[in-house]
Amino acid sequence: MKIELKKFGTTLISRQNGREAFAAFQPQLTALGKNENLELDFDGVITFAPSWGDEFLSPLLKLYGSRLILINTNNLSVKATLELLEKINQESFKRAV
Amino acid sequence: MCYYSIVMTEKEIITISEAAEILGVSIDTLRRWDKSGKLKPVKTSGAGYRLYSQSQIELFLNDLLSTANDWVHKNTEIPSELYCANSAVFQTRLSRMQDVLSESKELNLIFPLIVAVAGEIGNNSFDHNLGNWPDTPGIFFGYDTHKRYIILADRGLGILATLKRVKPELDSDQKALEVAFTEILSGRAPESRGNGLKFVRKIVAENSIGLVFRTGDAKLILTKDSDVLDIRQSSDPFRGCLALITF
Repeated sequence: MKIELKKFGTTLISRQNGREAFAAFQPQLTALGKNENLELDFDGVITFAPSWGDEFLSPLLKLYGSRLILINTNNLSVKATLELLEKINQESFKRAV
Repeated sequence: MCYYSIVMTEKEIITISEAAEILGVSIDTLRRWDKSGKLKPVKTSGAGYRLYSQSQIELFLNDLLSTANDWVHKNTEIPSELYCANSAVFQTRLSRMQDVLSESKELNLIFPLIVAVAGEIGNNSFDHNLGNWPDTPGIFFGYDTHKRYIILADRGLGILATLKRVKPELDSDQKALEVAFTEILSGRAPESRGNGLKFVRKIVAENSIGLVFRTGDAKLILTKDSDVLDIRQSSDPFRGCLALITF
């Protein structure tokens, strides 16, 4: 399953919005197959900050681990935020090469 | 004053209601500002009406740091366009700033970092003061993309009071500021605590972005490649937080 993060907005910055996005996203997750990967595509996201990311990505990392694949992570704010979230969670994200 | 009257064209002269509209304050506020000397009209019409100049209002708006300081120290009235009462308003204005910064070729790669830094600092104010604002809720958010700075300020509890909830042993603004910018707090109880200021530190240290952050009687100065935190005691303490981001 591939999810385009830009559908949640191009400025992903606050805890509150991250929480709302995560809640809105839950029904879609029920369609994810047992062994299916969950791909999150950052294409089109302009600003990505840790508050939003911690509310949205951290729970997904805990739930899916290496089945969570991040795509198009070259934006500098995406890169920096992912690095911090990895420190907080003490776990690495899998990035598509 | 004379200089203005010689060089100013009639086109630049605006009425008190036009000036009030640009500044987002009431006409009565402008009359008060005239009496107190905060913002005086450039001249008075024959009928006694206050007249302002367009450039004077623009200059006034640009004096963001002193406006923010006055608001934090004295709770003075501020133009509505510099005030975000809630995080939704802040989000909208931050997106607008993002659009403006994205047009700069020079900032092409780093503008998302600047927006993310401003976003983390601004949202910190909302997240940690929700339900506990001592008087005026919300934040001051102003920027000048030509002079390349952003100012964020709040009249909240300040870093020490909010961090004490998770680290009761903290006893000074300086120590609280150091913890806020250095320690990764992964435990979420008893409140959802962000690690936004650690992110801010990392971004500033790795890019051509500067930060002055004040809370209580502590003042932090961060620049590129600053490995050690430069935290000083400030001579004029205040409640809440004020951040000046330069780029």
